[in-house]
Amino acid sequence: MKNLKLKKGLVALTSAALISVFAVAVPSAARAAEPTCTTVNNVEICTGTDGNGSKYEIRMPEKFNGMMFLYSHGIRNQVLLPKIPVVNPDGAYSVPRSAPEVAPGRTAADQEIIAQTLLKQGYALAGAGVQVNGWSVPEAIEANLHLIVKAKDLYPKINKVVSWGDSLGGHISQSLSEQYGIIDAAANLHLAGSAANQYSYANDVLWMYKTLFDPTIKGNGYTQPVSASDTRGYMELIGDITKLLTVLNALSTAIKTNPTAPAWPETATNVPDSLKIIPVRSAILLIGLLAGMPTQSTTYDSASGPAGPLETTFGLAISPALAILENTSTALALGVIGNYDAEMRCGGSIFDNTATDYSARLGDNGDIYAAALSGKSATAGMLAFLSRLNPAAPRVAASAASVACINNQAAYTGKITVPTITVSQTADQITPAGYVQKLKNQYEAAISNGDAKPGLLLNIWNKPPDSYTEFAATGAAVTPTVPTTGTSHYMYTNAQILVIAKLLASAGKSGKLPSVATAKSALKNDPSMFIDSAYKPELMPQDK
Amino acid sequence: MIRNNRMKRFTIVSAVVAAGAMVLSTLPAQAADPGVTATEIKLGVSTPLTGSAGLAYGKVPGAMKAYFDYINANGGVNGRKIKLVVRDDKYLPTLAATQTTNLILKDNVFALVGALGTATHSKAYTAASLASKNVPDLFVNTGFSGFGNISKYPTTFTVLPSYAMEAKIMSKFIKENYAGQAVALVAQDDEFGVDGVNGFKAGALAITKTTLYPQSSITEATAKALLTGLSAIPGKPVIVLFGTTDVTATILKAAESLDLVSKFTWIAGSVGGDANTLLALKVKSTTIDGVLAASFFPDAKDTTDEYVSQFMTINTKYNKDVTFDNIVLQGMNSAMLTVQALRAAGKNLTRTGLINAIQDKGANFASAALVPLNYSPTSHVGYNGYWFGQLNAKGELKPFGGKLSVFTTDSTAGAIEASTFKRPAMPKNGIPTNS
Repeated sequence: MKNLKLKKGLVALTSAALISVFAVAVPSAARAAEPTCTTVNNVEICTGTDGNGSKYEIRMPEKFNGMMFLYSHGIRNQVLLPKIPVVNPDGAYSVPRSAPEVAPGRTAADQEIIAQTLLKQGYALAGAGVQVNGWSVPEAIEANLHLIVKAKDLYPKINKVVSWGDSLGGHISQSLSEQYGIIDAAANLHLAGSAANQYSYANDVLWMYKTLFDPTIKGNGYTQPVSASDTRGYMELIGDITKLLTVLNALSTAIKTNPTAPAWPETATNVPDSLKIIPVRSAILLIGLLAGMPTQSTTYDSASGPAGPLETTFGLAISPALAILENTSTALALGVIGNYDAEMRCGGSIFDNTATDYSARLGDNGDIYAAALSGKSATAGMLAFLSRLNPAAPRVAASAASVACINNQAAYTGKITVPTITVSQTADQITPAGYVQKLKNQYEAAISNGDAKPGLLLNIWNKPPDSYTEFAATGAAVTPTVPTTGTSHYMYTNAQILVIAKLLASAGKSGKLPSVATAKSALKNDPSMFIDSAYKPELMPQDK
Repeated sequence: MIRNNRMKRFTIVSAVVAAGAMVLSTLPAQAADPGVTATEIKLGVSTPLTGSAGLAYGKVPGAMKAYFDYINANGGVNGRKIKLVVRDDKYLPTLAATQTTNLILKDNVFALVGALGTATHSKAYTAASLASKNVPDLFVNTGFSGFGNISKYPTTFTVLPSYAMEAKIMSKFIKENYAGQAVALVAQDDEFGVDGVNGFKAGALAITKTTLYPQSSITEATAKALLTGLSAIPGKPVIVLFGTTDVTATILKAAESLDLVSKFTWIAGSVGGDANTLLALKVKSTTIDGVLAASFFPDAKDTTDEYVSQFMTINTKYNKDVTFDNIVLQGMNSAMLTVQALRAAGKNLTRTGLINAIQDKGANFASAALVPLNYSPTSHVGYNGYWFGQLNAKGELKPFGGKLSVFTTDSTAGAIEASTFKRPAMPKNGIPTNS
């Protein structure tokens, strides 16, 4: 990989020039094997591996319309895990994943449906399986650039390339479309934030869980291996996962046992008894609010309550905490494993909260959720415990080099020069809506600075139903088998993805963003989607 | 090359767009705001209709709608009928945000009127992007002084006097009439209570014991424990109940159960002192008899008051089977203010025009309150004063000491002054004719 350095100066080149650079450069890299191509049902499928070891796949329909969809998949774990309940129950994180994917979808079958539909419409598809997993934005961008070169080399009739991706893939797609001038339009699904901000978000949650619920959790500064067989850091990670699962289970059990006044876990040994008078659900909620996590999850809507005396109280004071707890549980894998991976990548702790004022982050949420936080006095007590001045809540200091490393990870900057569509959930716990707002802000700043053109960004939002928590006859909330729309970082339905693909293709073809009216018309029968240019989700606290 | 061509195309397109924008900028402003047609003005409210808060305050939208129906039956506003879309938020912040967003995006309302609750509405205001959409947010039913902050809530107009104002005036009342009695404050531990606590501080009231409780946390058991503790205070302490009506009822019923009603002098804040609601919540009439309460309206049972009388007549016809009380009075009064605001905004109705109309003319709107409105280009604060009375067994609020004494103040350190305000007369038949 390293013998092919892509500099930002390439942005100035035309795409044709860029391709010629690659055409020259590729042979000098580690020799890439020629792709293997087969034809199935009038579609030629070419697979191969580029000079850096990234696998790729290109599908070319017989009746090609000139446009290729380039897809970037989401983050894959670099660190392999044993089977662990909740985190890795089926062993999906136990094997290396490097296969390319050519279209988004909830399942492999759904991805294939999307792919087949687009192929039938005459679009070519392509995607890479990046050689490095984890937060591998530079590697993924480079793999995509190689892939574009290869595809155009194989199929010179490709005259339009549109880019799409989801989660980290959205981040990759956005960065690619901004930086190299070879993408005609982009659509980014639940766009990830920058590496620094995503990991700060995860680390804020981890640090507060450690501080309030189990001080023996390590959380940061995992031992760096000195040899391939050195597993000390890895074992620390596995230990942390086990401890976090224990805490989450204890919290869940406590709320189930006594929803109004759940007890603190036994592992909360640092917290004084005076603080433990506060129902622990309020501490759970506070952590979520301070970290920027949404207060709606796939099960809990922060509104509904079981029929009976607790109905209103549940929606007001219990449901928001349970939503945060559920969101934390489902984000656990990314947060802990991702943080470990980032530390290994950057050689040390990347998180530094020595100067963070968590109290200042609460803002209006202190009033809005006053009841669920058990009142202002209780909130003040918890915030005081999390204060920098409390020796029982020691802060984490990062190594400067590691912080520089994480801050230098490639990231989009809002310098949008081609039609760009984002589609995000309003209550996504992994890539919260605030990241899209940040992109909007960056874009507006770039326009002001003359680095971007106006009228090129369309934000489409996916929202939960007005209320959706279902309760069993016992009064227990029922977790849906299909994640609730608008929540939980779930992949969109096939119908929704195909609408986005249609809008993206239109943008790529015309060079213009679809009008709001056109986009609304395309989405008209979908009550879970909306477009509102005035909608302004709160920036993540790490971005303020 | 591809990029160069695209840039060229873009430059041409930009030039066309820019030229179009120049042409458009020379045209007069169009009345293109949502929710207004030649025949209709669509307004919206997100408020609790169900749940415990719904029981106490759920009559507000019905009262507003009744008044609008009355106005519609008499020609509407500049030929337009008013339609009120009501959505139930159960007094829950997240649901309020959802419902308010629905009002804006799905129902396409022109303006909001009468939203209720501080936590609910502050979340809804941001979530529904009311400021950036310039949605007039009229006469919110909360006394949280923060909603008077124009830079944060540029389209919001408060109507209730703030909790801080109430606490300041209450401090004066207690000091002048119950000097020597210990004072215990029982308040919600949120912005509502904190506003009140700040007001009591500003009013320099010495409080022996302050109890702050989270919303929805007061049960029969906790109320009894609270009163048992407070009963240890020597003498006949004054207990100030600065919370919602359901909590006032729970505490008064606990006092009944503990036989402690006569141990204390009870003062209920305006939010939690509606006698009809207390009686509906099974507080004994003998318990209510003698409770002190603050109000800025005439008593809803005072049929000699021209506003009360007119609103009662409208209520009988357009809000059938709903008992007229302070809540209904509040709803109808806000609706009448709304009609005046719409009239003042003129026939070419726009959101900006409506906001400007209230700023410029709202201080002179006719209303039932015995205290002035304070709207101006630099103030979105509504009423600013209170009077104190004593409930009798029928739930009527009679002026304390037999004489109506109205005081006004602000939410901070301003003086508490006897009011010289002269209320405008009720428009003929309750139908505003202002412009």
